[in-house]
Amino acid sequence: MAYVATRGGERAIEQSERLFREVMGAIDATRVAEIRAAMPYLIDRVVGEASLYDEDLAALALAQTGGELYEAVLLLRAWRTTQPRLGVAAPVEQSDLFTHRRISAAFKDIPGGQVLGPTLDYSHRVLETDVLAGTPFYPPKVDPADTPAPAYQPSVSAWQAANDLVDLPEPDTTKGEAIPDVTREPLLFPSKRAHTLQSLARAETGSVLALGYAAMRGYGQAHPTVNELRLAEAEVMVMHPSGTVFSAGRVKVSQAEVVSKQGETLGLGFAATFGWNEVKCIAAATLDLNAKGAPKGSATEEEFFLYHTEGVEASGFCIHFKLPHYVTFQSSLDAMRDAKAQKLKEPAE
Amino acid sequence: MSLASLTKPWAPMSYGFLDASAKRELRRKMIKAVCVPGCQMPYASREVPMARGWGTGGLQVSLTLIHPQMRVKVIDQGADDSVNAASIRRFLARVSGAPVTLDTLEADLIQSRHRIPEEILREDQVLVLQVPNPEPLRSVQPNMSIARQMHGDADYGRMWLQLYEQIVRSGRVMQGASYPSMVNGRHVMTPSPIPRWDVPKLHMARHLTILSAGREKRIFAVPPYTRVEPLVFDDVPYRVEDHGGLTCYRSGTKGFFMNEIPQGDGSSAYEVSDSAFGVKAIRTREGKGIEMGETWYKDGAMTQ
Repeated sequence: MAYVATRGGERAIEQSERLFREVMGAIDATRVAEIRAAMPYLIDRVVGEASLYDEDLAALALAQTGGELYEAVLLLRAWRTTQPRLGVAAPVEQSDLFTHRRISAAFKDIPGGQVLGPTLDYSHRVLETDVLAGTPFYPPKVDPADTPAPAYQPSVSAWQAANDLVDLPEPDTTKGEAIPDVTREPLLFPSKRAHTLQSLARAETGSVLALGYAAMRGYGQAHPTVNELRLAEAEVMVMHPSGTVFSAGRVKVSQAEVVSKQGETLGLGFAATFGWNEVKCIAAATLDLNAKGAPKGSATEEEFFLYHTEGVEASGFCIHFKLPHYVTFQSSLDAMRDAKAQKLKEPAE
Repeated sequence: MSLASLTKPWAPMSYGFLDASAKRELRRKMIKAVCVPGCQMPYASREVPMARGWGTGGLQVSLTLIHPQMRVKVIDQGADDSVNAASIRRFLARVSGAPVTLDTLEADLIQSRHRIPEEILREDQVLVLQVPNPEPLRSVQPNMSIARQMHGDADYGRMWLQLYEQIVRSGRVMQGASYPSMVNGRHVMTPSPIPRWDVPKLHMARHLTILSAGREKRIFAVPPYTRVEPLVFDDVPYRVEDHGGLTCYRSGTKGFFMNEIPQGDGSSAYEVSDSAFGVKAIRTREGKGIEMGETWYKDGAMTQ
């Protein structure tokens, strides 16, 4: 007689992983390229939450996990851990963003103009079922505008500041290695501004939406007006050891600025992330807007929403409940049974 | 001298997975944790190739301490063959080349989830406990920044009140595992969800215990020969699980922490929770000449 051989557990986990992977079949470069081409917005979501901008790796992570988003993000984050930090890019100014889409709900028109850019906002949500019947869907051609929208525009809040409607925060002049990095330091509260914005940028989209929506519905103090929403590409400017500053390429970014009347001035909430993630940015900016002065323990308090929108931690902890807990359970049972036995004994005494 | 001779050949990852800066941070935080026993030290906590909540804190400590000669044992709920323990052990061996063992006496480093082995650990051994929630005050104060302040002030009144209320309501302290304990007379810590049975093993122990929560990004430690006293009232003694009289139906060992196995007829059978200890007991009975270590408990009671 002996205990279950240790090899038993190891064989079981190996086979269960094989079962999972068997469904997806072989993964090759073609599949990864197809995912990248067909699912740009899914890639955007994943690179944002992973805080790792690499569309190929994101597509690979999706291929490897069969689209299990939490797993895909974890794969990328764990891969990121193994990479050295070679340098820090120059800060990106709003007016330097190569802008594809930029809208404001606060004014009918804004300096630089409303630029709709690519969006499904006004589409009729109808499934193209003919595709399944064998008729491919070909997207209709885009007719270029007579005059192209300017690629670079000032921020709406710059105009508001000039008109004394909003107090813009002092520009943070921290540079390079001195910028706090939430992946290399623990998040402590009250949190550093950089840590807050980095955490929101990495946050899980659904969680940010849930808490942001709660704030919008009335569990926050401030109702957001979308001052400006932008989808853009940012130039990543880095310095070569020889001193030359050059562009290492462009990354897709999105940002939202929301405002709300706070006394005689406008309160400002901001969020930005890798990839084009509009819903996440608006919801995150709403949380940022509501954070100031939020009561301890409320959903709009920074500690509350930053901890609970961290998708890798939240999903990991949730699935950890599948692990055996029989020791802790046994410990509780022991206390319960004893308390019950005492109660039964007492009336007789 | 060529540039190539000054650099290391390219490798897809560092030795032991974590890069040098992550290991340096962990080493510093471990030293701080040893210097202030029971006090939670925040650390960055890197993402590792395992889900948060599955031992990533313990794993980062193990990955930092590990070297090719270090013999590693990994247990989950007392068992070496639990699937997650097997997975962590396989990962540690894969990225470090360290030898593995199931025998507590042979291990230099023991990473454990929710149990301390029954055999007494020595001065040269390190126990790494995985911690889901590092904050003993969580149940009375979920806000971590306020809780941190409370630790600073040694403000544990609400903790005592909670225990008192349990006694009033239920006639006894109802805390199951994770029994809050005072370390070195100053910081209340959670010993991680080890059963009450295991908490006295930490008191004045010869070995170093490092407790690490990866998701919550906190490290704390119980250095060797440090007081670990469960919070109890003078007139209500600390009670471990009532397992002292149970006998393992497989190994025949008696007076150790047991797993209850429900039986088809409505009764329960018991097997010893420390699986490697049970296996050694069976082999000894079969006359295999296995070395059994001294145990903390004898005949179901603490010896020290």
